[in-house]
Amino acid sequence: MSNIFGKSLTSWAFRRSQEAKPKNGIRGRLNIWAWFILLIGIVYFFLPLIATFEFSLRMVKDRYTFEAYRVAFTDPKFFLNFGYSVLWALLTIFFSTLLVVPTAYWVHWKLPKARPFVEFVTLMPFVVPAVVLTFGLIRLYGRPPIVLLGSPILLIAGYIVLSLPYMFRAVDTGLRAIDVRTLTEAALSLGAGWGTILTQVIFPNLRVAILSGVFLTFAIVMGEFTFASLLAWPAFGPYMEEIGSMRAYTPQALSVVSFLLTWASIGLLQWIGRGRGQEQVAGAH
Amino acid sequence: MAFLEINNVSKKFGATEAVSDFNLHVEKGELVSFLGPSGCGKTTTLRMVAGFESPTSGRIVMNGEDITEMPPNQRDVGMVFQSYALFPNMTVADNIGFGLKVMKKSPDEIKQRVKEMLDLINMPEYTHRYPYQLSGGQQQRVALARALALRPDVLLLDEPLSALDAKIRVSLRAEIRSIQQKLGITAIYVTHDQEEALSLSDRVVVMNKGQMEQVGTPFEIYNFPTTTFVANFVGTLNAAEAEVLDPAKGLISVDGVQFISADDDLKTKRKGDKVRMSIRPERFSFASEGKKANVVDCAIENITFLGSVVRIQVRIGETNFNMDTFNNPFLELPKIGDRTQVTCSQNAVLILEE
Repeated sequence: MSNIFGKSLTSWAFRRSQEAKPKNGIRGRLNIWAWFILLIGIVYFFLPLIATFEFSLRMVKDRYTFEAYRVAFTDPKFFLNFGYSVLWALLTIFFSTLLVVPTAYWVHWKLPKARPFVEFVTLMPFVVPAVVLTFGLIRLYGRPPIVLLGSPILLIAGYIVLSLPYMFRAVDTGLRAIDVRTLTEAALSLGAGWGTILTQVIFPNLRVAILSGVFLTFAIVMGEFTFASLLAWPAFGPYMEEIGSMRAYTPQALSVVSFLLTWASIGLLQWIGRGRGQEQVAGAH
Repeated sequence: MAFLEINNVSKKFGATEAVSDFNLHVEKGELVSFLGPSGCGKTTTLRMVAGFESPTSGRIVMNGEDITEMPPNQRDVGMVFQSYALFPNMTVADNIGFGLKVMKKSPDEIKQRVKEMLDLINMPEYTHRYPYQLSGGQQQRVALARALALRPDVLLLDEPLSALDAKIRVSLRAEIRSIQQKLGITAIYVTHDQEEALSLSDRVVVMNKGQMEQVGTPFEIYNFPTTTFVANFVGTLNAAEAEVLDPAKGLISVDGVQFISADDDLKTKRKGDKVRMSIRPERFSFASEGKKANVVDCAIENITFLGSVVRIQVRIGETNFNMDTFNNPFLELPKIGDRTQVTCSQNAVLILEE
């Protein structure tokens, strides 16, 4: 077409193609950089694992075997300590969720001005070292009036404190993604009490966020050493340290196994908590 | 005794008085709109009726029972929110049945009521959809059904159509009114949209700065605004300072141009008093269209085509007035700069309170 529209369209298309070329070039370069950075990340993450795995296979001289794994799995203390750690992790997750979700919800709903303060409190494990925290707990609860030293309450309480920054942030992000106030008011106007609101409205809409906090908590507790060691409770962290001081190859095998078991446990939790993706408006980012 | 009484209710947030001495009696089956600009206190008043805010002073009585201190989940009110507030984790049926489930109704009763409600909002096939699978208009209809499922004494609607596009707003507001009349439910409707309030309501409460400016039927509010604010807020307003020349005859002067007003308020004024007069744009017409009491000389300043209406700006004395005339293909309009005469009836000239 040779009319004015045809001419202007042609020139517009030409300009677009000229503009598009460098953009495509930049996009191509960005893609290469993105893949390069991803590759570095993968190498950084997996190389030590692969090296550990490779080393764990060298127990028998001059050939690769799973002898170190056989030794690890035939030690009954391995399963006992791993089982205890899973137990501690599940208890921590249960009580941490009970503590953090209603607190974060209440802060969003009624006390938004207190949010920075609560956020600061949850940062405590980053400021106070675990050793200091443990000795503080021992001093405070190791003598009357409240003696908790013989029970795992102190251990779970310590783990809850350790997991606070991760759990609170995950739930907080989830709460920011939903209109907490309006959903609560809607439920109230329909006659619901606080229990119903929390269990049927807030918790289900925070599932992804809570699961995110749960995974982090699980991973932290499974590898934790200081609390379990100083409070003298069986756990996987102190067991690994004990084996490491006596043997060369078995701890490497245990490290690989613990990684796989932790991933498997997280996968299991994710499978249990799976659901329809689209309805979940909240999630940790 | 009215079905819902809001007596001398005030609400303070710190030093700010959001609602001041609010008094309203709503009859059973009546739909009353709270109309006003943002921050005028209309939503705060609604939230006090819902129980989400506590009045600083005053009482709220519903169906003979004082509900001022009653928690929101024990009041027999249904609420529809601007943002729909459907529970994202529940299907349409679960959302509508939520309140009934809380009240521990039997599964059969819940199923039956949910079906009734879905029929009422013309969405029977949407039972198993989730909120994210619905349009904004459909979500708001589900929210309405959810609020009505419990058969509340009072239905509260907080700007329910504000988030929807213009066409859906018009159709849905007609649907809300039709459902409200069909069920005979008492309703309070908060909006900042004058057209919505005028088209829906039995009565309109116009609010400004936490106070009631005027309460009346849509007809009264539009045609007989008692304050400058109401006249300005509801519809387009021509307002001007005027001097009273003869209170008994209703004679006033705007920049030396005389008007006769039938407004009784003028009789309480004295000669020489300054008043604020107003005339709606549609009350003006060209003098040739029929001889009326107020025939005044004017100059055409501007002409704006608004579709069904043509707005002509005329200068009378030193003051510009708008005049609206219905558009038709054979309309003969003057040109800008022409001098002509316009007229209006005596009762079109209103005297406003400041």
